[in-house]
Amino acid sequence: MNRRNRYGWRIGLLAMALIIGVTGYRLLQPSPQPTGGITVGSALGGGDNVGYQRAYQPRPLQFPTDHGPHPEFRNEWWYATGNLSDAAGRQFGYQLTLFRIALSPTPPVADSAWRTHQIYMGHFALTDVAGNRHYGFERFSRGAVGLAGAQATPFRVWLEDWALTGSESAIFPLRLHAQEGEITLDLTLNVAKPMVLQGDRGLSQKTAEPGNASYYYSYTRLPTQGLVRVGDHSFAVSGASWLDREWSTSALGPDQRGWDWFALQLDDGRDFMFYRLRRNDGSMDPFSRGVLVEAGGQARSLRWDEVELQPLGEWASPNSGDRYPAGWRLRVSAEKLDLTITPKVADQEMRLTVRYWEGAVAVTGHAGDQPMNGQGYLEMTRYEPSTVIR
Amino acid sequence: MTPLFWRALLRHPWRHPWQLGLAILGIALGVAVVLAVDLANASARRSFDLAMNRITGHATHRIVGGAQGVPETVYVQLRLERGIRLAGPVVTGYLPRADLPGQLLQILGVDPFAEAPFRDPAANATGSNVDLRALLLNPDAALLPSALGEQVMLRRGEQRFILKRAGTLNGPELDGLIITDLSTAQTLLGKAGRLSHIDLMLPDNASGEQLAEQLRAWLPPDLRLEQPGMRNQATADLSAAFSLNLTAMSLLALVVGMFLIYNAMTFSVVQRRALLGMLRALGVSRRELLIGVLGEALLLGLAGALLGGIMGLWIGSGLVHLVTRTINDLYYVLSVREFFIEPWSLAKGVALGLLATLAAAWLPAREAANAPPGRVLSRTDLESRWQAALPRLIGIGLALLGGGGLILWFSDELVSGFAGLFLLILGCALLTPPAVVGLVGLIQPLTAHMGLLARMASRDVVRHLSRTGIAVAALMVAFATTVGVGVMVDSFRGGVVIWINDLLNADLYIAPPAIEGSGDRSEAVAPAALTVLRNTPGVAAISTYRGAKVELDGRTLTLIAAELAPAAQAGYHLMDGDSATAWQAFQTGEAILISEPLAYRSHLSAGDSLQLPTDRGTQRFTIAGVFLDYGSEHGRILLHRSGYQRYWQDPVVGSVAVFAAPGENLASLRERLQERLGSIQPLLIRSNRDIQSFTLEIFERTFTITRVLRLLAILAAVVGVLSALLALQLERAREFAVLRAIGMTTAEIGGLVSLQTGFMGAAAGLLALPTGLLLAAVLIFVINRRAFGWSLPFQVDPMLLLETLTLAIIAALLAGLYPIWRMARARPADALRTE
Repeated sequence: MNRRNRYGWRIGLLAMALIIGVTGYRLLQPSPQPTGGITVGSALGGGDNVGYQRAYQPRPLQFPTDHGPHPEFRNEWWYATGNLSDAAGRQFGYQLTLFRIALSPTPPVADSAWRTHQIYMGHFALTDVAGNRHYGFERFSRGAVGLAGAQATPFRVWLEDWALTGSESAIFPLRLHAQEGEITLDLTLNVAKPMVLQGDRGLSQKTAEPGNASYYYSYTRLPTQGLVRVGDHSFAVSGASWLDREWSTSALGPDQRGWDWFALQLDDGRDFMFYRLRRNDGSMDPFSRGVLVEAGGQARSLRWDEVELQPLGEWASPNSGDRYPAGWRLRVSAEKLDLTITPKVADQEMRLTVRYWEGAVAVTGHAGDQPMNGQGYLEMTRYEPSTVIR
Repeated sequence: MTPLFWRALLRHPWRHPWQLGLAILGIALGVAVVLAVDLANASARRSFDLAMNRITGHATHRIVGGAQGVPETVYVQLRLERGIRLAGPVVTGYLPRADLPGQLLQILGVDPFAEAPFRDPAANATGSNVDLRALLLNPDAALLPSALGEQVMLRRGEQRFILKRAGTLNGPELDGLIITDLSTAQTLLGKAGRLSHIDLMLPDNASGEQLAEQLRAWLPPDLRLEQPGMRNQATADLSAAFSLNLTAMSLLALVVGMFLIYNAMTFSVVQRRALLGMLRALGVSRRELLIGVLGEALLLGLAGALLGGIMGLWIGSGLVHLVTRTINDLYYVLSVREFFIEPWSLAKGVALGLLATLAAAWLPAREAANAPPGRVLSRTDLESRWQAALPRLIGIGLALLGGGGLILWFSDELVSGFAGLFLLILGCALLTPPAVVGLVGLIQPLTAHMGLLARMASRDVVRHLSRTGIAVAALMVAFATTVGVGVMVDSFRGGVVIWINDLLNADLYIAPPAIEGSGDRSEAVAPAALTVLRNTPGVAAISTYRGAKVELDGRTLTLIAAELAPAAQAGYHLMDGDSATAWQAFQTGEAILISEPLAYRSHLSAGDSLQLPTDRGTQRFTIAGVFLDYGSEHGRILLHRSGYQRYWQDPVVGSVAVFAAPGENLASLRERLQERLGSIQPLLIRSNRDIQSFTLEIFERTFTITRVLRLLAILAAVVGVLSALLALQLERAREFAVLRAIGMTTAEIGGLVSLQTGFMGAAAGLLALPTGLLLAAVLIFVINRRAFGWSLPFQVDPMLLLETLTLAIIAALLAGLYPIWRMARARPADALRTE
């Protein structure tokens, strides 16, 4: 049930936003201070949880209400990734994540419409595989006066003009729109498989501590079509997306270093998710977990010892000096899966207020005797030069 | 030129330290005043730039609105619908401190998430100490300048706000600034739902221009896109005339200083006539002698300029408070009151001092160079040449007067007004020596009966004209300046008193408690309060007012939307246009009345029309009349409320004037209104006398700096008297010894000296009166009109003239004391032996 690595890392991201905020207005200055080294655990002390709601036990998730925000929890996100290609086979990968962060458990004095304790942060990335380019952007705004916010009906989450917008009555078809600089993304996401409730009926326990858990569900395969624009060039694209939803008031354990998250969509219709939590010595933490979703939608949980992961080579970021694995070998013996995961572009490092690697990957290999290909998204965090990789 | 030559030349001033000291003091005073005014002006300007820059930051454009500012929804649309990312919302204004009366702090409310590209102050805030969480969440969190304590209490009307430190702003330019989250600023300033403006950064190229055009088309008609740089310039220009006036007055002090230098140099040349003749005989060329004397003057000037520099810094640091206070009262709020030392101002002041010294020393230096070799240049030579030059002096003086008059008559620039003024003063100065001769001639019959001493005293003045003429001229200029400025200020005050008495003829004035001194008039009188005001027994009539800003040719003017009671109309003094028809046209709301400065500046008169940008596009209004107004030098426009509501989307009434019914007791009416209004809205009720005295208080404050400059001019004049007369009398030590030797008593010689200096003081004072009145006339009818567009009455207080005359004579008599004392102690034999 423990997904605390992935969870913890995103908490870290949010915490980082706060840290940056706390270090003043410099957060959007052209020369940000190095932020990768700030430790998440110390930034979010245990006392910070006081007053917020926490996830103590599974509860029936209510839709569409739970697509909307849960401001009484400290953190929340709407996390979309996907692989796309145009008719000529030109490939793109994208990420659009909208985070909600509560600065306090209760609303502040309502003296002005601008006053709020709800902050939104957005990360937007496009990988142009043929152009061997990766673009990453970041935004912050307060959840007030309509600048940013989330609502269940009709479904809409937005940070200025980055938005996920549902139809009148349902979350799907979901329109995804983001534009920054010379990059525009305008996509429509449809639903092909039912929602997967992660953990225990949607309750994803992080540590043994009661309440240190999240409510978590995913849409693992969303047929997608739309438009990608890079500068003056427009591409009509189609492909598949993945949407994660999670909200909680939780913190990381102290013994974990970083983590690697795999979201793979295989050509036989199966979807595979696994996060590998790395300890300080580089080994896999027993809290690492995954899920395998059949083409028909049935999901089965994967324990940490059911999955074997082996880093392949090394890619050193010329910008940060961080050293990331250049690929992975993934084996699930129970499923006879033996897969090689290769970044479609080596440099998909997100150099934002928090630095991490997240990007589109190609999957090759076989399931038993059958060749098995696919694609997906890979997230790798906390690979400072001193990190032990194994 | 050998060292020996220099030593021979420089020994003289070294041996006459008092003479040296007074000459240096003279030039130092001149330089000090010029420098002090320049530094004060530059500091005010720099404060303004800093204040503007810390608000404007790196914004290239901004969206501004009318009286109500910009609706915050426009900002949201800008980001969500137009996708414009480099946009920052700003709520700004000024609030007085409640814990330290008199200090005004600028509130800058920003959105921290949109802020970084725009302004450095926020980014420079001490990083680790900024508590962004508190800033966003707590209504009392703010970034405070390091000079303030851990918290500060502000006041808006009756409300008190305490702000606590959530971070520190470092740097003198951030003094007086408070940065808060936008939400906090909206609450503090009472601007819910509104922004002061939206900052934008558009690219500086064709696509930026295109974007600007698109935005202009997209904005609702009551909002505008403007470039803050140009606006700041326009605002800074507001006070340009004020600065120029101060500079011109400081130059007058330098002119007095120049007379002093001229006096000192002439004197030292004449005293060394024997030495100079000898040097020539020894083979020193004319050129070398010229350079020698100029070099000596340069040394003197350098010493004076350096001393003046130090004094200027000291005086300037005092003046800057007066200058910024005046600018605060009249133009715009300056919350930075730092004294900045501009190296350029210092250099300018010193250079000006040196130039003035060289110019003043030129004639004496030529005099020295022309000394015939071997022959002693005699005093008699010089004096006879002066006597001979009298007709030429008269000619040149009259020519300068004529030239000055012509310039004043035919030009209409402020700068040429000052040029004409200086020519007139110079002309009067040149006419002074002949006038002194004339005066001596006039009193000849009088002195004839007053005995030997009086005759000697008066003739001596003419005999030593080379010295006395210059001294009296310097004194005359100094005292004329004080007369001129004094008469101008008196006349101005007289005009303002009459104007304000007529204009504020209602009994009570009622307005929301505005943010004092901040120029913020956005608060409204509640409609319910208006109804109460109209219907309270004892109220005969009311006038309503609403002040708004309109842009006209890049200048910001005040538009007053008014509904005037008949009595209130009578308070306006129409200078142009027929009263009856003008007010009739005004009632329609299609015609406007404009103030005199606007009419003067834009060459408008009754019957012309004016195009104003309204919320419904540009609209043409007929000018029905021009009214006398000292309320704003940039002009004000009076429009009937019906017209204002037709063309502007602003139903607000800002203030109300109440006329009591005849026989009504004002105190009880005030109480009644207070009682009825109290439950509706906190409103300030003030009597017309309160407002009148407040206005005059500002007026007095405005002229404080003028008075200070006048005092400095008087000081320079007194130093001039001292130095000129001291030199004159001390030089005559031998002459006095002869007089003593032939039997005159010390008392008699003391009387002679006193009579002489007293006569010179009286001559300077007397001649200063007509010159001062001429100066006042030019200041009133030319300079003030060109600078501010005001027509002022000409009022002369006889006491002022008498004061000046007395001061001149007393200063002169004081100057005679030291020579008398020295002469009385000297043994005549010693003085005689020196030759």
